[in-house]
Amino acid sequence: MAGVQGFVEADNAEAIIARIEHKSRKIESLLKQHKPVEALKTALEGSPPATRDERCKSANWIVVHRALMAIKDVEGMFSSLDPEYYDILMKYLYRGLSTGDRPTCDQCLRIHEKLTERAGLGCILRCLADTVNTV
Amino acid sequence: MHVLQKHDQIVSGIDWSAKSNQIVTVSHDRNSYVWNHEGAEWVPMLVILRLNRAALCVQWSPNENKFAVGSGAKTVCICYYEQENNWWVSKLIRKKHDSSVTSVAWHPNNIFLATTSTDGKCRVFSTFIKGVDKRESKAGTSDSKFGEQIIQLDLSFSWAFGVKWSPSGNTLAYVGHNSMIYFVDDVGPSPLAQNVAFRNLPLRDVIFVSEKMVVGVGFDCNPMIFAADETGIWSFIRFLGERKISSSPSKHGSQGGTGTEFLSRLADTGTFKFFIWDHF
Repeated sequence: MAGVQGFVEADNAEAIIARIEHKSRKIESLLKQHKPVEALKTALEGSPPATRDERCKSANWIVVHRALMAIKDVEGMFSSLDPEYYDILMKYLYRGLSTGDRPTCDQCLRIHEKLTERAGLGCILRCLADTVNTV
Repeated sequence: MHVLQKHDQIVSGIDWSAKSNQIVTVSHDRNSYVWNHEGAEWVPMLVILRLNRAALCVQWSPNENKFAVGSGAKTVCICYYEQENNWWVSKLIRKKHDSSVTSVAWHPNNIFLATTSTDGKCRVFSTFIKGVDKRESKAGTSDSKFGEQIIQLDLSFSWAFGVKWSPSGNTLAYVGHNSMIYFVDDVGPSPLAQNVAFRNLPLRDVIFVSEKMVVGVGFDCNPMIFAADETGIWSFIRFLGERKISSSPSKHGSQGGTGTEFLSRLADTGTFKFFIWDHF
């Protein structure tokens, strides 16, 4: 896992944000094509946990949030989401829950319930115990 | 039945050497005793560990001439017996650990020691002591001096516990508090690590049943079996069942009945004593 990588410097933050913006356009187009699960996968992919820069994390959160809110069929989403995404999705769900915003929290709770059924308590533990790679 | 009463705080670690029939105990009171069975009694001998924090874990070395103690002082004590003075001497490994040493494990060669710590890392040290250990002619152990770090494994982002070597010493297994178990083959300059995530609550300790099978215990109160297939890939197989390990009296409150007691661990940590049952 990412333990051996160094942390990204501030200059590279610009590059990361540019990549996130590019991702955001791709996600918008996927959502227009009614492919919310693909959109979510794209949003979760290349999430920059190995950076301490808050702007990068916030930028990626906005993108993930957009994809999360567009999910209507939670069960269906899990049937096509690979298990490798579970841990990172759980981290973003907790970020969503921490916003306190009602619609976001409702959606996050709905997904959290199903994700816990699928991934188990271990997934939650990995999200809570990892204070190094936060989202 | 014998009651061995000497420590005045929680007995945090205990190990019984099969061949020399000695019991070593360590406690939060920063002391350690080696108990010898003389006649009908178990007689304690105090070991000055030179710790200023609690001792957390202990294990006899394979040849039973040394034992290792992990402590909250971020140090590991390697204790050996000095015949001339009739006492146990403690040598400290002070470097490298950034936090409490939660678990120690001896390699079959009686020299390498693996440690896990709440800084998330697993390390292997050499504990070669002149006069106690014989210098092997093999290249692997010839350069190591006492306290030298052989390898540091940075696989976990959270507290690490429960390290054990496989019977041959080729593989290392330890667990993280993030519901993961780590297997490392060919421990040395180029190790092969596997991170296995599982669905359940974290494990606290593991044991090698064979070269390719490991049982882990933890907060689910249900032992988990992991095994390696022919290609050497480790994965979770199944739970052992609903069996609770009945020989473990109440452990310290913060670990609330986790079933982490194995075989010879009989410590009743609530009242700072422990019990030995005689042969029937």
